[in-house]
Amino acid sequence: MSQSLSEECTPLKQKYDSCFNSWFEGYLEPAVAASQSAETRAAYSKKKADEFQEKCGKVWEEYKACVQKAVKEKGLDKLLAQAREENPLTEPPTHPPSSGQ
Amino acid sequence: MHFFSQAFQYDHPWTHVVIGMWHKYPNSKCTHVVSIDTIDRSVDPETGIIRTERVLGCKQKAPMWIVKLFGGSEDAFVREISFVDPATQNVTITSVNLSLSQFATCYEQIRYSPISPTQTLFSQTAEVQARMALWRSAADSLEKWLVQRFEQNAQLGKSGFTDVLRNLWEERHRASP
Repeated sequence: MSQSLSEECTPLKQKYDSCFNSWFEGYLEPAVAASQSAETRAAYSKKKADEFQEKCGKVWEEYKACVQKAVKEKGLDKLLAQAREENPLTEPPTHPPSSGQ
Repeated sequence: MHFFSQAFQYDHPWTHVVIGMWHKYPNSKCTHVVSIDTIDRSVDPETGIIRTERVLGCKQKAPMWIVKLFGGSEDAFVREISFVDPATQNVTITSVNLSLSQFATCYEQIRYSPISPTQTLFSQTAEVQARMALWRSAADSLEKWLVQRFEQNAQLGKSGFTDVLRNLWEERHRASP
C-alpha cells in the first residue's frame, strides 16, 4: 500500500484507504445496475453515501487533519489553492479524451 | 505547446479496472510515484458520482540544466481529480503539476470506459505548456533593465570621456604654452 507524503500520516492514510476500498468494491457493480432509472439510482446513491460516511467518516476526519497539516508544512497549500482557483474541477470534464482512437 | 496522446485496451471488465485503479501504486515499474494522499472526496447522493482529489508525490531526477534554471528539487507534486460515474460507466482523471507550475503546466486527462463486458478502453492525452505570459513579462523586465543599464553607462561614458579630454588638453596646453 502506498505511503503518505508525511510519514506520520501513513498509518491513518492506509486505514482510510482500506476503508474506502472495501466500501467501493461493494458499491460499484450494484451502482451500475441501479443506474437503470433515476429513482433507483438516487435511492441507491443516497443509501451508499450515508453508509460510506458512517463507515469511514471518523478515520477520514483524522487522516484529513493530519494530511492538511503536512500539505501546509510542505508549502503545497498555496500551490493547491492556486490550482483550484485556475481549475476547480467540481464537475466531470466536458471534453474527456474521446474513445475509439 | 506539446501534445501527447495514446489509447489502448485492458482485457478486464470496466468495474475491475476501476476497482484496480485505487491499487495502481505502488508498483515496481512506477517507482517514481512515492506518495498518494486523498485530500478531498465526495459521493453525490443523487447521481452516485464519486469525486476524489488527491496529491501524488513523485521523485524523478531532472536534468541538471532544469534544476539550475528553475531551482527544482527531486520532489514533485501533482494534483489529481477523478470522477467515477457508474451511470455512464465513465472514469475521468485530470492531473496537473503543482511543482514548477509557475513556469509550465502539464495537463493530463485520462478516461476509462467499457468497450465490451470484458474489455476497457484507456485513453490519455497530455498538454505541456510553458507559461508564455510569464516568459514574456520576464523578457520584458530583462529588456527594460538592459536599456536602463545601457543609458546609465552611456551617460557615464560621456561624462568620463569629457573629463579625459579636458584633462589631456589642459595638461598639454600647460606643458607647451
